[in-house]
Amino acid sequence: MKTKILVANRGEIAIRLIRAIQELKYHAVAVYESPDKDSRHIRIADEAIWLGKGPRCDYLDISKIIKAAKKTGAIAIHPGYGFLAENPDFAKACEDEGLIFIGPPSEVISNLGNKVIARKIMAEAGIPMVPGTDNLPPGEEGVAAALAFAAEFKYPIMLKATCGGGGRGIRLINSDQQMREEIPVARAEAQAAFNDDRVYLEKVVVEPKHVEVQIMADSDGKTVHLGTRDCSIQRRNQKLIEIAPSMIGDQGLLDTICETAVKAARAANYFNAGTVEFLIDKDFNYYFMEINTRVQVEHTVTEMITGIDIVRTQIKLAMGKKLSFEQKDIQMRGHAIEMRINAEDPKADFMPEGGKTVTVYRSPGGYGVRLDGFVYQGYTIPQVYDSLLVKMTVHGYTWNETVDRLRRCLQNFVITGPKTTIPFYLNIAKDADFISGNFDTSYLDKHPELFNYDDNANEASKLSNLIAEIHHRGYNPYAA
Amino acid sequence: MERIVQGTPPAEVVAKLQKANGYYITNTARDLSQSDYKNRILLHTDLLAADARERAGYFSLEITGGASVHVDILRKQVDPFLKLEILREKMPHTMFQTLCRGVNLFGYRPYPQNIIRFTVKEFAKYVDVWRTFDFMNYVPNMQAVFEEVGKAGKINEPCICFSTGPEHTDEYYLKKVREILDVTGEEIILCIKNHGGLGTPQRIGQLVNTIRQKHPDLPIHYHGHNTDGNDIGRIVAAVLNGATIVDASDHSFTGFYGPPPILTIVQTLKDLGHTAIGIDEEAVIESSDVIRDERQYYADFESQIKGFQPTVQIHKLPGGAMGSSLEQAVKGGFLDRMPDILHKELPRVQKELGNYWSVTPGSQILWTTAVSNVLGGERYGNPSGDLRNLLLGKYGPFPFYEPDAWIYEKVLGEDWKTVLAEQGGVEDIGDMDIEKEKATLAERIGEDPTDQQLTLYLQHPNDAVEFFKFQAKFGQVHVLPPSIFFRKGGFDPSETLIFTDYTGKEHIVEVGPSSVSESGETSVYINVDHYQRVYNFEPDVPEGAVAKASAMSKEEIMVLAKAGDMRAPFSGNICDVCVEEGQQVTKGDKLAVMEAMKMQTPISCEMTGIVTSVFVKVGGSLQPGDKILRIDKDE
Repeated sequence: MKTKILVANRGEIAIRLIRAIQELKYHAVAVYESPDKDSRHIRIADEAIWLGKGPRCDYLDISKIIKAAKKTGAIAIHPGYGFLAENPDFAKACEDEGLIFIGPPSEVISNLGNKVIARKIMAEAGIPMVPGTDNLPPGEEGVAAALAFAAEFKYPIMLKATCGGGGRGIRLINSDQQMREEIPVARAEAQAAFNDDRVYLEKVVVEPKHVEVQIMADSDGKTVHLGTRDCSIQRRNQKLIEIAPSMIGDQGLLDTICETAVKAARAANYFNAGTVEFLIDKDFNYYFMEINTRVQVEHTVTEMITGIDIVRTQIKLAMGKKLSFEQKDIQMRGHAIEMRINAEDPKADFMPEGGKTVTVYRSPGGYGVRLDGFVYQGYTIPQVYDSLLVKMTVHGYTWNETVDRLRRCLQNFVITGPKTTIPFYLNIAKDADFISGNFDTSYLDKHPELFNYDDNANEASKLSNLIAEIHHRGYNPYAA
Repeated sequence: MERIVQGTPPAEVVAKLQKANGYYITNTARDLSQSDYKNRILLHTDLLAADARERAGYFSLEITGGASVHVDILRKQVDPFLKLEILREKMPHTMFQTLCRGVNLFGYRPYPQNIIRFTVKEFAKYVDVWRTFDFMNYVPNMQAVFEEVGKAGKINEPCICFSTGPEHTDEYYLKKVREILDVTGEEIILCIKNHGGLGTPQRIGQLVNTIRQKHPDLPIHYHGHNTDGNDIGRIVAAVLNGATIVDASDHSFTGFYGPPPILTIVQTLKDLGHTAIGIDEEAVIESSDVIRDERQYYADFESQIKGFQPTVQIHKLPGGAMGSSLEQAVKGGFLDRMPDILHKELPRVQKELGNYWSVTPGSQILWTTAVSNVLGGERYGNPSGDLRNLLLGKYGPFPFYEPDAWIYEKVLGEDWKTVLAEQGGVEDIGDMDIEKEKATLAERIGEDPTDQQLTLYLQHPNDAVEFFKFQAKFGQVHVLPPSIFFRKGGFDPSETLIFTDYTGKEHIVEVGPSSVSESGETSVYINVDHYQRVYNFEPDVPEGAVAKASAMSKEEIMVLAKAGDMRAPFSGNICDVCVEEGQQVTKGDKLAVMEAMKMQTPISCEMTGIVTSVFVKVGGSLQPGDKILRIDKDE
C-alpha cells in the first residue's frame, strides 16, 4: 500500500501540498467541508474525505481530521497555513496519535505562539527586539505598568493580545487616556477571540519595512536560511505583495539579519521550515517580531530565487531526512515578486467578492511566471472562506526585468465574474515608487491614486455582451 | 471656383457664396436617415462613406441635429459628440451642419435660455453650420441660438419655414426675412426650409427670385424633400433663380421622403449651364457605392408604404415625420385609416389650427390631433398637452389667424377665455440650476459628468442616463456594423463575427450554443478572441403577462380610471409624476404625464380622493393597461 499524507487545508495551498506529496510518490488525501465540494483540490488529490457541513468549523476540528487520517491510513499530516497550522494542540494530537505532523514539534509552536514567551527566548539569545513589556498584570496594576512603559518609550505604542496573530488582536495607542480606555476593551476582545485575555505592549516602529527570513532546520539542529523576503505592501496588516530578496541595498545588513534569524531559530530549538519576521525602521535598525511556525503563503518567491522546493523539503525533514545542503550551497538568483490575486474590490476597501462565479479565467504563461491557484472557469467562489484565488509569482534576472514581466503577466491575466485585485496590481506595477523599490508598510496609504482604474477595461468582452444579448433576444433591445 | 473648407471664417464663407458662379451642395445624410430610415443609419455606415464624402467636395455634411441627437443615444447607442469627433478626424475639410429647433434645440419642447446657450456652446465645438428654425416662424424663439453661434464663430443659417396656402405669400416671407436680418445682421445664409417638399418648382423659383430681388447679397440655401418625387424640379428652379446652396443625398440610400439624389441634380443643372462648385462626381458615385451593400440591413426601418406620396401637398407632413407616422400606424393597427387621416382629417385640422408650418413639434401636434380625431370619434375630444400649449400661445403667436372659439372651448374647457387670459402667452421658462443638475447627474451615474454628458442629460435626462449606463456595460458599440447591431433572429451556430474596437484592436467572436437553467436563466456561450465566455440572462417576463395587460380596451381603462385605478391609456413613458402617496386630489388634477411619439399627455384625476399608491417612476415604460397609481375615493 502506498504511503499516504493527509492535507489538512483547502484552496491553493492544498493543491501546492498535494503536488509536492505526489511528486514524492506519496498518495495525497484531501479533506473538505461541504461549501468546498466543487473545489479543485478534491479532484487533484488521490482521495478525499468529507469532514462535515462546515463552514470553517470542520477544517478546525482536530478530532475529525485525526479520524480522517486514521481512516485512510495516512501516516503524516501537512497543515498548510491558517486553520490548524499553528495550533500546538493539533501538533500535540498528531504526536499523541503517532501521526507525523509536518512542522515543528508542538512545544516549539506553543512557545513561539505565545508572544511573551517568544520575546523572552529571543531576549535571552540577544536578538534585537522592539521595546515591549511582558504580559500586563491584571486590573489597575496593568494599566499603571502600561503608563510607565509609555512614559519611558513614548507613543505610539501597540497594545497586543498575547495569543493574537496574523494581524488580529492589535490596536494602536496614542495617549494615556486611550491606553486606560483600550486595555479593558482589548482584554475583553482577546478573551472572546482567543479565549485568553492576556495583553502586552510594544513600541511602534513608524512606517517600517517588513522583512522576513525563511529558515529550515533538520532534526540534528542544522539550521540554514534561504534569504529574505520583503512583505511591506500590506493592507490592514494583511500582506498583498511579497518580494525576494529584500530591496534594501545594504547586503551586509541583510546578511546580519539572516544570521540573526538562524540564531533565533536555534534559540527556539526550531525544526522544519519557519519564518523569522523583522521590522526595519528608517534608520535601518532591525527588530525581531515573531517566528511563524508554518509554511508561508509567500514561500514561492523564496523557492523561485533559491531553487529549493520548500514544501518538498518540509515533507522530507518530517519523514526523518536530513538537510542535504549547507548554507554555502544556497545561492540567490535574481528577483521574484508574488501577488496575491484576491476576489476583492480594492475600491470598496477590499470588500470580498465571494458568491460570484468565475465566467472567464485566462492566465498568463511564458518565461518566468508561476501560478499557484485553485479556481477555474465556471467555479463559484464560496462566501465562507478567504478571497485568495491565485498567487502569481514572477521571476527575473534583474529587478527591472522582473517588474516588466510582472506588468506583462498582469495585462495577460483575465478573470471576469468577481472583481479582483488585478487592475489594482497593474497600477502598482506601473508606479514609479514601486519600480524604484521605494515602499514600506505605509505604501498604500501614500498612493491613493493606485485605486483609479477602469473595472471593465476589456472592450471585447463588453461588445460581446451586447452580441450575446442580441443573440439571446433575437433582436437588439437597445436599438428597437 | 473651389470648395469652401472647414475653418473658413463666417464672413469669408458668406463672401465666397456671394461671388459664386455656380451652386454648392449640402449632403443631408442626417435628414435622409431621419426621413427614410427612422434615424437609424449608424455611424459605422457614415464612416464607410466618410473618405469618399470628404473628397466629394460638399459645402457641408448635415450629420447631426433634428431628432438624431436623441436617437443617437436612445436607439443607436452612440455618443453624439463622439460621433462628430470621429467623423471630423476622417473628414478634416468638410463643414458639419446641424438642424436646430430654436427653443426646442434637439428635443421636443422649449428649454430654458441658459440650457440653450450651454448646449449650443458644446455642440458649436464640432458644428460649423447652424440651420435654425421655429415651427411658428417666430423669430424671438431662435435668438439665443443665433447669439451663441455668433459667439462661437460659426455660421448662422436661419430658416424661413415654407408651406403653401393663401396666407403663404411672398410678402409674408419677405417680412420674415427682414425680421431675421434685423436680429442677425447680414452675415448669414438664409435657408428656405421646405420640410414637406411642398409647392411646385414654379412656386419655389418665384419665392427665391423675390428674395433675391430684395436681398441680392443674401446667400440662399434651399432645403427640400422628395416626398412627391418632384424635389429635383424645385431644386432646379431654386438654382435657376439664384439659390446658392441646395440639399441632396447619396443616391444608393435615397428613399421616398428624404432629399433627392445628388448626382441627378448635378447632371440636370450641368445641362442647364450651372456648375456644382467643388463637386467631384466620381467621389459622389463612390460614396454611394461603398455603402450600397449596407442598405439591406436597414430594411426594417424603411417605409412601410412604398412609393412617392404626391398627396403630401394635401396632408403636408414633413419628410422627417412620414416614417414615424407610418410606423405608429402599423404599431397601432390603423394603417387602413391612413387615407382618412392623411387626406381628409389632417388638412382640416391644419386649416382649423391656423395653417402654420407642419414641422417639429407642430407637425406632431397636427398628426396626433388628427389621429385622435379619427380614432377617438369625437373631434378634439382628447386633446394632448401640447395642443393645449399651442392654443395657450406657449410656442408663440399664431402667424395668420387664431383657431375658432369652439376649438378653444373643446381644448381649454368652458372657461377657456379666463384660462387663456391667465395662462396664455409665450412661456417664459426660468433658467435651470445647471450646477444642481450636474450634481444630480453625478449621483445617478456615480462619477463626475463631463460637460458633454451634462449637455446630453439636460436635453434628455432619463434617456441620457440610460445611455451612459449602456456605454459602461457594453462599451463603444458604434464599431459594430448594422449586420450585427440590427440582427434579427440571433446569429447562426458558430457564426464568426470580426470587428475592430475603438482602440483599433481587431476581435474575432464566435457565437456558440445557449443553455437554459431550471430557473429559466439563459447562458449564452461566446468565444471571444478564441477564449470562451459565458453571458447569463435572467428569464423574460412571461409573454402572457404583457399580452393580458395590452388586451385591456380603452373603455375598460376609462372605467377603471373613474374608480380610481389609473392605468396607462396608451404605450409610452412616464415623464412626470405630479402627486405623492397620501396626497389629496380632486377631479381634474394632473396626476402624471405620459409621453409617446414626442407628445406629452397629462393623466388627469377623475374623482376626489387620496393617492394611496404610486406604481411608476419617471422614465418608466408602460404598456396600455399598466398601473400608474391608485386613488381611494373620499367617502
